[in-house]
Amino acid sequence: MENKKIKKVNMLYLLGYIFVPIIVCAVCFLASYLWFPEGNMAVILLMGPSFLSILWWACGGSFLFKSKRKKFERELDESGFARNQTFYGRGSMISVDINNGKIALLFFWNPFESYVVEAKRVTKAWVDDGRHGKGFMEGSSQVSFLFTIDEIKVRIYTFTSNQRFRMDTDYILTGISKADMMVKVLESARSNSK
Amino acid sequence: MGLFKKVRLLFHDDLCPSCMKSMEERGRQLYMLPMMVGHYDSHASALYYKKNLIKVYRKADIPTGQYACGIIAYKCLDCGFRKVKVSVFLPVRDQEKYEDVFYFENGELDDFLEF
Repeated sequence: MENKKIKKVNMLYLLGYIFVPIIVCAVCFLASYLWFPEGNMAVILLMGPSFLSILWWACGGSFLFKSKRKKFERELDESGFARNQTFYGRGSMISVDINNGKIALLFFWNPFESYVVEAKRVTKAWVDDGRHGKGFMEGSSQVSFLFTIDEIKVRIYTFTSNQRFRMDTDYILTGISKADMMVKVLESARSNSK
Repeated sequence: MGLFKKVRLLFHDDLCPSCMKSMEERGRQLYMLPMMVGHYDSHASALYYKKNLIKVYRKADIPTGQYACGIIAYKCLDCGFRKVKVSVFLPVRDQEKYEDVFYFENGELDDFLEF
């Protein structure tokens, strides 16, 4: 867990997440076509995997990530990691122990591996307010903070939307404030890191 | 009170509601509210502010992501009416995101304020 190289995406998990339900559905459809063209078994083979696949894509990943996150937080607490600041972004979680200069990370697309790294490995941290457009169209639809660990860029969203908001709206200001705060926290942890 | 007076009062904090004259500003002070961004909880009780506000002199003294509170005290020189305006906001770079504005007209904060 400690000082491993950061891997944001586990390709095997990502591909499995997308394609395993499709393969299971295809096998069940084929079995139904070949051996159970009608009757209860056909209904089960056609409907069951389809329903379960949709359920998995809709909730399975989030459920798995949340359960791994809770387990990781328990482990952190037991190991004496002081969670001074924890941020749950879309698809990632970051927790910072400011005094001991440590950062804990967990990614949605790599939920089986959790990371605790020395904050001194963070080379740069900054805020992206997502500002784009000109004149009255100027605004943003996402705010995030970014940092690089071992040349790997990690982006954590503090606000996302499918609409563009003006830069002085409450949503954007809250997102910027959270991102600014997290950058300050990361910088404090880095300065305390041995 | 007429509708016109009510509308005027809505847009002018420093108007006395009884004699409709401009009140004198007794003082203003900036405070830090120990509440983080994303965890704001509205409190209308003066006791909460008396317990939790921390005096600061500049907005730059407030840590990033912490809420701030601006207090302005007014007094009407004609009728003696006193009012305290408490504005809770989140300082974000050079802007302010306002959360709540409360008015205390019965001297609830008088023992807390130094003006």
